[in-house]
Amino acid sequence: MQAQNRTKARTMRERTLGGNLALGAAAGAVLLASAYASASEEGDGLDRWWAPGEGRTFPELLDYDNEHGTLRTLLVGGPLETDGHPFFEPIGPNGRACVTCHQPADGMSLSTASVRAQWDATGGADPLFAAYDGSNCPTLPQGERASHSLLLDRGLIRIERPWPPAQWNGAGVEPDFAIEVVRDPNGCNSGAEYGPEAGVISVYRRPRPIGNMKYLLAVGFDLDPKQGVALPRDPETGVYLSGNLMADNRVSTLRDQMFDAGSTHLGMLDRMSDEDRHRIEAFELSIFVAQQRGGGGEVDDGGATGGPATLRDSEPGELGALGFPVWGEFAAWEEIDEEDRARLTPEEVAFRESVARGARIFRERTFLVSDAAGLTTQMGFGNPFRVACKMCHNMTRMGNDVAPGQVDLGTTTLPFADHFDDLPLFRITCLNDPHPYYGRQILTYDPGFALTTGRCADVGKITLQSMRGLAARAPYFSNGSAQDLHAVVDYYDRRYNIGYSEQEKQDLVNLMSVL
Amino acid sequence: MKKLLTLLAFTAPLSAQAQEAGELVSFVSCPVYRDTDQGRKSGCWLTTDAASGQQWDVSHSPYKPNWDYAIFVEGRVSEEGEDACGAPVLEPVRTSRLLDIDCTRHMIPAEGYPGRFFIAPERYITPLARRPEAPEGPFEERTFYAFFEFDRDFLVYQYSDFIVQQAAYWIEAAQPRRLVVTGYAATDPITVSGVELAESPEIAQARAENVALTLSRLLPGMEIVTRWETGSQPMDLSDADTIPGQSQRRVEIKVEF
Repeated sequence: MQAQNRTKARTMRERTLGGNLALGAAAGAVLLASAYASASEEGDGLDRWWAPGEGRTFPELLDYDNEHGTLRTLLVGGPLETDGHPFFEPIGPNGRACVTCHQPADGMSLSTASVRAQWDATGGADPLFAAYDGSNCPTLPQGERASHSLLLDRGLIRIERPWPPAQWNGAGVEPDFAIEVVRDPNGCNSGAEYGPEAGVISVYRRPRPIGNMKYLLAVGFDLDPKQGVALPRDPETGVYLSGNLMADNRVSTLRDQMFDAGSTHLGMLDRMSDEDRHRIEAFELSIFVAQQRGGGGEVDDGGATGGPATLRDSEPGELGALGFPVWGEFAAWEEIDEEDRARLTPEEVAFRESVARGARIFRERTFLVSDAAGLTTQMGFGNPFRVACKMCHNMTRMGNDVAPGQVDLGTTTLPFADHFDDLPLFRITCLNDPHPYYGRQILTYDPGFALTTGRCADVGKITLQSMRGLAARAPYFSNGSAQDLHAVVDYYDRRYNIGYSEQEKQDLVNLMSVL
Repeated sequence: MKKLLTLLAFTAPLSAQAQEAGELVSFVSCPVYRDTDQGRKSGCWLTTDAASGQQWDVSHSPYKPNWDYAIFVEGRVSEEGEDACGAPVLEPVRTSRLLDIDCTRHMIPAEGYPGRFFIAPERYITPLARRPEAPEGPFEERTFYAFFEFDRDFLVYQYSDFIVQQAAYWIEAAQPRRLVVTGYAATDPITVSGVELAESPEIAQARAENVALTLSRLLPGMEIVTRWETGSQPMDLSDADTIPGQSQRRVEIKVEF
């Protein structure tokens, strides 16, 4: 099976190289839709979806095409026989495995393209669409597409959080805010079983990618600048906790994340065994994922050092400002030598130059950030202050935050969030001090970090995540509100009144497409 | 009850006396953001002392203003030129945010001023990967001091977090018997620019507990005793940077063998 996968991957790469690269006018956006489609026609559609219990071999190198090029997954110590492996087996009663929502073709996350394909292929019978969290609410008629619209349209899984909040160890948290449900379009925040009065709040979030985990677990400093206190340590191991695993930082270790996911998404009634947990953890720590090929060809060509091999071989946790610059992997593409120009197409040259500009823009194009709790409140930077993208996306090679990344960008909270009629809307009332920017009352689709801390000041904060493998896992932001990479840039441009030119936007999109 | 500080501006005299370098000034005022751009964190913070009519550049403060609220400025007149931000410079300087005094947001353009290219401050916490070698003994009883914004217990990034981190490195090497962490609050009222200022008594305890929590995480297993006192008085402490009020808003970490 391993040889079969590798052959297929190579075939896909060759097709990509030989295919027609359709480049956008100014900056060369790559469309590989034709290659993607032909791959599906040849049966790769089945290959792309890893169903639980298939018993495939996970190869050491695994490539999948996407609309921006090719994503590569490297498995250190691979290949791995997945038969009997708890990441790939349905170890709970609902037929799901971890791989259900962490698909290799989707950057170990889950794209709506895959979700829709799986709905079409199975008529909605795939365990992915389990009533508990793969539908908008278990109370809805499960055979209807509309009941799964949040997953199908925005890739959102329902997350149940206790109310009042509880810590990872079950200890209670006394919140300094009250929460009421303004609108409950799906029924999972009202009635006898759901909603604050029933002790359960439903929010809807994108699955975060399982890959490159050494970076997400890495700790650059022993103090948390956003909280003004030292980082907590894992009580079992004593190691510092990065705070960068979960959108709301409800757990901070892979161990606790697995217990959390096992008891919810997998429907396990018993606690995951230590053996299974260790095997899953070992697998997750061995996976490195990044785009390997984009509109400029291989991302580790011409002096560039993109792609997963560099991620695999580099030390995690470095702050770009103190060491290797964020997205410095593409610095060599700022000045492409004549030899490379001669062997590349003009479109590929243009794309590489665009990526290099995008990396510069990411690091150097400043804009004024204001009213972003977590950034502009306590740290001492002031409100407002001038930053570039790398201010928060500051970890070398990954673009997540070296510090725990709980920041409110407004993606889930009014007035900054886009309007959604299909998401629950909550009214938060701060009982003590008002929120520093939203005031006493806040309207939010997802209180985020506040559902963990119980603090009004944390409403809307969502943990920054990895920027790797983005091309494979649209849509973006925790609530799937950005359908593509352009929409991500557009959101920031609008939120912070940046005024990016169309060229700058395209350069950033092209950069993100090769990460 | 919130106050609107803009009224104070009308009481300002039209002329201001030049002030000597090193002179301590303190006042309450609304901040103005000058949008200069020399890269990240290069904007300027200006504010005017209504009593003298003098505008100051307070950008060097380790905890910078929020344009929604008044700031309590404590600083010393610097000899640094006005060319970066367009006003005489206070350095060292502190700008504590007073969240019960609203200000109207005010931003002015760069108007040709460049601002300051951000240079990492000397008090920049050390990455774990670059941890310095442990200090060598002999070790003896010693007290470290960490400092805070007015009426806050937050360990400010690139200031008080650095101080506590460096203290923890020394303590880890010294292996003392215990730490006594005492939080102080400047609860005796003072009147500045017509505004009565006094820290809340509870902040002394909050400071002690926050520093103790941090030390317990940096130094697992270390015995830590917390205490707190109000009515804090100024002390001559190097990391308070000659700002008397800053020295009052402190935590002492006494290392006992």
